[in-house]
Amino acid sequence: MAQFFNKSANNIARISILAGVVLVATAGFSFTQLARSSYLTGRYMEKQQPVQFSHKHHVGDDGIDCRYCHSTVETTASAGMPPTQTCMNCHSQIWADSPYLEPVKASFRENKPILWERVHDLPEYTYFNHSIHVAKGVGCSTCHGQIDDMPAVYQENTLQMEWCLACHRAPEEFIRPKSEIYNMKWKNSDLDSKERLELKASLKIRSKEMMTSCSTCHR
Amino acid sequence: MLKNSLPGVVRIDDKGKSMNRAICLAFLFVTSVLLSACGIRSDMQDQPRYKAYKKSDFFSDGRSSRDFVAGTVPRGQLKENKAFYTGKIDNPDVNAQPVTTTDASGNTLVTSFPNAIDEFPVPVTKELIDRGQDRYNIYCIVCHGPVGNGDGMIVRRGFSKPPTYHDERLRNAPVGHFFDVISNGWGKMNSYAYVVQPADRWAIVAYIRALQVSQNPDEVLKANSKAEPGSVPPKSGETTHGGKP
Ligand code: HEC
Ligand code: HEC
Ligand code: HEC
Ligand code: HEC
Ligand code: HEC
Ligand code: HEC
Repeated sequence: MAQFFNKSANNIARISILAGVVLVATAGFSFTQLARSSYLTGRYMEKQQPVQFSHKHHVGDDGIDCRYCHSTVETTASAGMPPTQTCMNCHSQIWADSPYLEPVKASFRENKPILWERVHDLPEYTYFNHSIHVAKGVGCSTCHGQIDDMPAVYQENTLQMEWCLACHRAPEEFIRPKSEIYNMKWKNSDLDSKERLELKASLKIRSKEMMTSCSTCHR
Repeated sequence: MLKNSLPGVVRIDDKGKSMNRAICLAFLFVTSVLLSACGIRSDMQDQPRYKAYKKSDFFSDGRSSRDFVAGTVPRGQLKENKAFYTGKIDNPDVNAQPVTTTDASGNTLVTSFPNAIDEFPVPVTKELIDRGQDRYNIYCIVCHGPVGNGDGMIVRRGFSKPPTYHDERLRNAPVGHFFDVISNGWGKMNSYAYVVQPADRWAIVAYIRALQVSQNPDEVLKANSKAEPGSVPPKSGETTHGGKP
């Protein structure tokens, strides 16, 4: 019987095995990259809002504290969104005739809420709580970035589990004194590593085991 | 290899086994096709429950967070302590209206304060004043400015200029008046009751008093002969009960 395969088939077989491995690895790598891409995590994406509200104006230029509008950030899971009345505290007079503010005034007149588009949206099988982070020395800008420089808010981080865990494994690398939580100019280099460990101890941050236990965030 | 798997060589008693295997494989294949046909479902991401601020399709105004039913009192919010919750004396005279005038810039100035209490209903401590400073710097500083001169950032952007805290009139105004302004608003200033809880309102009032002392220590001392130089402003650990600090 004649040989079915030519001798060169050996090489073809080897090359195709190699090609197969490379293909699988590339597919795997692209998958992890795609999963982390802004297309799937919503990172850096701005949303069309009913009012062109600008944090750059209100926080950066006018110096309004986050809590003036997000008033429950220290006490509840949600940071809190400002009711229309909050806007009217100032806009009863300032830019009162601006067309950009018409939806706000309509909402106030008709007692209907403004429908803001959510920018950050964790899946609902995860539990997140602002108050504990604010109380234990994690500043707004650590998670939300330079809000004071954003004409429209976008998501600065992926909000994926690996991102949460990176901090929960080593919180001392990210924390700051409680007086600086709302300071948008704070830099991580403002504390050295020894001060960080002292701060971690004084804030009584729990052990790595507890902070990375599944039931902390999936309950 | 090739020979063995020729159809004719398969033994009869093996047939059942391979049929079972085939059924199993077919079953797995069909279920996986069915599963993937369901598409990517996100019931776990978006669960049918209300998270804060989630839109409701049930209520006509679209809000899932509802107000209290009119006339009901939540547990622990009976507000029996009049002085603490209103800044007014126990049996206010309803006919007594404050005397007000309107100044050149359109601000409403008040000169008599019927019914307003003149003593803090809470102990004035360093912690209270610190808390007050914290809250003042969030909610009031934007208009009233860092020391209460009425030169905040929003005023510089065009909001009407509020009166300074450091004139004769407001230095002598009872604490109940400040509490009333925060709770119910005053002229062109809106109420801040919806974000500043009563305990925090008293903290802010205590801090405003401290600001008044810091801006005009001599005047305040003269007006308040009870206070001794050493006790103004209160130091850490010291406790002054009621009255003007
Ligand atoms: C004058 C009121 C005001 C102030 C002050 C303010 N915000 Fe906001 N914030 C809003 C409003 C209104 C929205 C919703 C519109 C939007 O997303 O742009 C919002 C949205 C956000 C969002 C996105 C919420 C989402 O949908 O996921 C973040 C994050 C945020 N603010 C953080 C901050 C931080 C941090 C500060 C302080 C540096 C701050 N804000 C100060 C009014 C305010
Ligand atoms: C503490 C005062 C204050 C509050 C509260 C406030 N704003 Fe403003 N807003 C300003 C000032 C001051 C400006 C002018 C911006 C500048 O030039 O710095 C402004 C400007 C704006 C503009 C641009 C108007 C134009 O014609 O260009 C919009 C839109 C706006 N605000 C929306 C809002 C909304 C929505 C809220 C409520 C969530 C709000 N503001 C709450 C003070 C305030
Ligand atoms: C540990 C990270 C972290 C810190 C620190 C943090 N946030 Fe957030 N923030 C989030 C996440 C995650 C969400 C999305 C929550 C969700 O979808 O349920 C969010 C959502 C928000 C929202 C939208 C409303 C809501 O609560 O869902 C606002 C407004 C906001 N943050 C403001 C702030 C402000 C102001 C601060 C500083 C005091 C702050 N955040 C600090 C992670 C953080
Ligand atoms: C920059 C640091 C940082 C990031 C990012 C972060 N956390 Fe945290 N988280 C902390 C610290 C610090 C604590 C306080 C731990 C303690 O109680 O001692 C905490 C506590 C918590 C708690 C409270 C645990 C409890 O039992 O009350 C939850 C829940 C939580 N984090 C969820 C999340 C989720 C979900 C994310 C991602 C969306 C996240 N965190 C991102 C630092 C962080
Ligand atoms: C610090 C908070 C935190 C802890 C601790 C945590 N998770 Fe998560 N987990 C998250 C967040 C946030 C998400 C949502 C990620 C996203 O939106 O892509 C998530 C998503 C998941 C998902 C769904 C992933 C997907 O892509 O759909 C699974 C499964 C999961 N977690 C399992 C676990 C297990 C198992 C543990 C314990 C070993 C754990 N988690 C611990 C925060 C946490
Ligand atoms: C948006 C700007 C603004 C903010 C924020 C604001 N005020 Fe005012 N306030 C005013 C204006 C304007 C007046 C003068 C109102 C008038 O007489 O018509 C005023 C008046 C007052 C007065 C004087 C009342 C009198 O007898 O003349 C007091 C006291 C006061 N505010 C306290 C506060 C406190 C405390 C806060 C913080 C919780 C605060 N204000 C926040 C604008 C503001």
